[in-house]
Amino acid sequence: MDKQLDLLQGTLDMLILKAVSLGPLHGYGVLLRIQQISGNCLEIQQGSLYPALYRLEHQGWLTSEWGESENKRKAKFYRLTAAGRRRLQSETEKWNRMTDVIAAILHSKPEEV
Amino acid sequence: MTLWSRIRSWSRAILYRARTEREMDAELRFHIDAFAEDLIRRGVPREEAQRRARMEFGGIESAKEACRDIRGTSFLESLFQDFRFALRMLRKSPVFTAAAVLTLALGIGANTAIFSVVYAVLLRPLPFDQPDQLVLLFEAKLQDGIKKTGASYVDFAEWQEQNHVFSAIAGAQRHDLTLTGYDDPSVLDTVPVTSEIFSLLQAKPLAGRTFVAEDGKPGAAPVVILSETLWRSRFGANPIILGNSITLDQRPFTVVGIMPASFHVPVFTENQDIWIPLVQDPLFGGWMTRRGGHWLTVVGRLTPGVSMAKAQAEMDAISDRLARKFPAENAGWTARLAPLQQELVGNVRSPLFVLFGAVGLVLLIACANIANLLLTRAHSRAREMALRLALGAARNRILRQLLTESAVLGLLGATAGIILAYWGAQSLNSLLPPDLPGTQAIRVDGWVLGFALLLSVAASLAFGLAPALLGANSDLQTNLKEGAAPSGEGRRPRRARGFLAGLEVALALVLVVTAGLFVRSFMAMTSVNPGFRAEHVLKAEISLPQFQYSTPQQWTAFSDALIEQIQSQPGLEQSAIAVPLPVADSCVNLGFSIAGHAALSPGTLSSADYVSASPAYFRVMGIPLLRGRTFSAEDSLSAPRVAIINEALARFYFPQEEALGQRLVFGFPPDSNVSREIVGVVGDVRDVALSQEPGPMMYVPFAQAPFWGGEVVVKSSLAPSSVIAAIRQVVQRIDKNLPVTGVAAMPGVLDSSVAQPRFRAGLLGLFGILALVLAATGIFGVISYSVSCRTHEFGIRVALGASSHGIRKMVLLEGLRLAAAGLGAGTIAALALAQFLRSQIYGVGAYDPVTFAGAALLLVIVALAACYLPARRATRVDPIVTLRYE
Repeated sequence: MDKQLDLLQGTLDMLILKAVSLGPLHGYGVLLRIQQISGNCLEIQQGSLYPALYRLEHQGWLTSEWGESENKRKAKFYRLTAAGRRRLQSETEKWNRMTDVIAAILHSKPEEV
Repeated sequence: MTLWSRIRSWSRAILYRARTEREMDAELRFHIDAFAEDLIRRGVPREEAQRRARMEFGGIESAKEACRDIRGTSFLESLFQDFRFALRMLRKSPVFTAAAVLTLALGIGANTAIFSVVYAVLLRPLPFDQPDQLVLLFEAKLQDGIKKTGASYVDFAEWQEQNHVFSAIAGAQRHDLTLTGYDDPSVLDTVPVTSEIFSLLQAKPLAGRTFVAEDGKPGAAPVVILSETLWRSRFGANPIILGNSITLDQRPFTVVGIMPASFHVPVFTENQDIWIPLVQDPLFGGWMTRRGGHWLTVVGRLTPGVSMAKAQAEMDAISDRLARKFPAENAGWTARLAPLQQELVGNVRSPLFVLFGAVGLVLLIACANIANLLLTRAHSRAREMALRLALGAARNRILRQLLTESAVLGLLGATAGIILAYWGAQSLNSLLPPDLPGTQAIRVDGWVLGFALLLSVAASLAFGLAPALLGANSDLQTNLKEGAAPSGEGRRPRRARGFLAGLEVALALVLVVTAGLFVRSFMAMTSVNPGFRAEHVLKAEISLPQFQYSTPQQWTAFSDALIEQIQSQPGLEQSAIAVPLPVADSCVNLGFSIAGHAALSPGTLSSADYVSASPAYFRVMGIPLLRGRTFSAEDSLSAPRVAIINEALARFYFPQEEALGQRLVFGFPPDSNVSREIVGVVGDVRDVALSQEPGPMMYVPFAQAPFWGGEVVVKSSLAPSSVIAAIRQVVQRIDKNLPVTGVAAMPGVLDSSVAQPRFRAGLLGLFGILALVLAATGIFGVISYSVSCRTHEFGIRVALGASSHGIRKMVLLEGLRLAAAGLGAGTIAALALAQFLRSQIYGVGAYDPVTFAGAALLLVIVALAACYLPARRATRVDPIVTLRYE
């Protein structure tokens, strides 16, 4: 657990959208899925998860409804909206461009400059 | 982000606050439970799992708060919280709250009450359709100094025919007609009109019809329209009256319509009993063909889209044409127009603005006072604020809470103020001079309430902003360190408090000076010598119906009999008849020429006020005879014409020579000019108003210039009621159908002629006293607070041997310094403002040194009085007690 990475500023929203895009999830499920996909490499502050979920719903990218969890308890499930899907796509493209640029900068050698 | 999702989330948050709160709870609980169950599955004991789940989640409450913030509910909720907190804080300090609310209530109440008058008189649109199209048309002959007079009917008819800028113009005048045949004879307020007036004002009758063009033609059957008020009070609201006839001035008129109570023809008094066609009026009907007389009040309605300038240009062109066509009568005369509303309120606008400004100053002083109270409180709450800042409260959050507290105070003040205003508007209504237009409708309505609320918000900001800013920026470190004791105050708040107290003194000085000027002006007006002695003089008006009394011989016969019979009663020997009376009636100003003198150069019109009086008039009124003789019984219709002039006329027109024996040529009506020999010179009389310097006057014997009635004046030591009863008895004996009206004691007439100045001086005086009290409490607050902060210092001073006299002097000097700064600023402001009052005050200069010095002295005394208690407290400081606390 000591090898965990701190989440980059502003990326939590994107990760939540991605996690939910794979299928409706409740809050705890979002947490588990991100941890599972990342191979437990990302540390997510549980307290900041819910404000993020509320913000995304407030902005219209997620929608929520009450349903039943795996162990038969009432839970609030979040689902991606069409706007949210577009948002995820544009965020992903932006992220990829950003990482390409940053990677190119980091890989540059003295003779290239 | 979609707008819809936002609205949905907000509305859900507002509408289902409790539900979303429950759902948020359930969601977070589910998270922690699910987490704990996972841990249990991995072998962690149940209790430990619960604890770890909670710990790893972090601050549940702060997460919830963050969620609430996102939903956007926090603003409303925190506003509600602030509101409740503010109420709690205000309840905790009832004395402060009561003082602040009372001060505010006085300020807002007074402002709202005055605003209700300003609104009713100046701002409310006239009660007619499209009032901005209505104009008043009048005639002027600038080269003779005549700036504004009525139109001649002939000119009116020409305007009506030739203009293309008015959709209609109509004329009106005012007259008294006597109604007989129903109970006692009574005098009705009659407005003779041309038939267009009703359609021009777009007024619909309650029953029957209004006038048609045929009613206005010469020879038409006499018709009359009744007011609803008269119809109800006099005719028992009986619809049978329609189509029947009533007797006015001994002549039958057929009732054709009834107008609703709200209707009146503008310009004249709002109490109008009946309307008749102009042509049917016994007086004005006969004047309609005279080109030279200018007496008709003309109202016009502009055609939509026509500007005032275009209408004026058209009227100029018409006047030019008329002047060329009738050079003898119309040369030099022009037609002018002015917006009706402006004309109606012209002479009350500035006095009302003075009152409004003064009452605004009262509110400003009240605000400064409350700001001071709040600053004091802010200081004692500095630790609370510092603590909250230290615990992470945002500065703007604290600012908002402090402003909410001010707003709650403001609203409480406004509520109490509106109650005061409601009551104030009612008492203002009864206090207001009756000659103020539009006063029938003074009340606290939606507009006035809106004004009060706006005022309370503005006031809350005014008194809340500075304390709130200082409070929210309070210095964390020092305030936490210093503890709760108000041992010393920061420089900024102390300066702010000193500034506010100085401001109060300055504003109070401005108000007291204004009040002083108006009070002195009023005193000057009432102490002036009117030129006649009003004591024990009664007057009563008798107006002869002109259909019955149609010839001057009849008028003379009546007045001779009347005066003779009154004078024969014991105690009533000093009786006379005259028209018009000074101050009580409007003046009749006539042009005259001096026989044998060269005509005066054009532009200098010789004119004088004209009075027709019976011989005893000068003795009854106490007007002194300076030279020559007064009228006698020999000055009859068959004797040579004579006149008496006043000193002003003699001095101005006969500066070098003896006026006695000279001849003046004049007459009333103006075209009956006759040469009259001057037989006497009497003292000057202020006949227009007490505040107007006496001008030239000329008197003629009533017998030589009879009138269809007049004012009986009686000087008697008998009780007024028995004098009036005797006059009524004599009149009834001569003609039982004659009403006696306008009964009044002359001192009372003088008194009510200064009703407006008295009202203004009284109200301003009240505001001045209010300002003094507020300024005194302001200074008291600052000084006594400063004394309580310096208790320790005084203790040391006393311990080191300072005398109580020295300490008292220190405190008083501190107060005087505040007052001096305020007086300096206030004097400058008052000097700057006083020049605007010049036109409204009489007999006292705008920079009257007595008023200025008196006001300043008054404020110094008030300041010293306000400092007295704190100073005494300072001298009573016991050094042992204060120093022990160190």
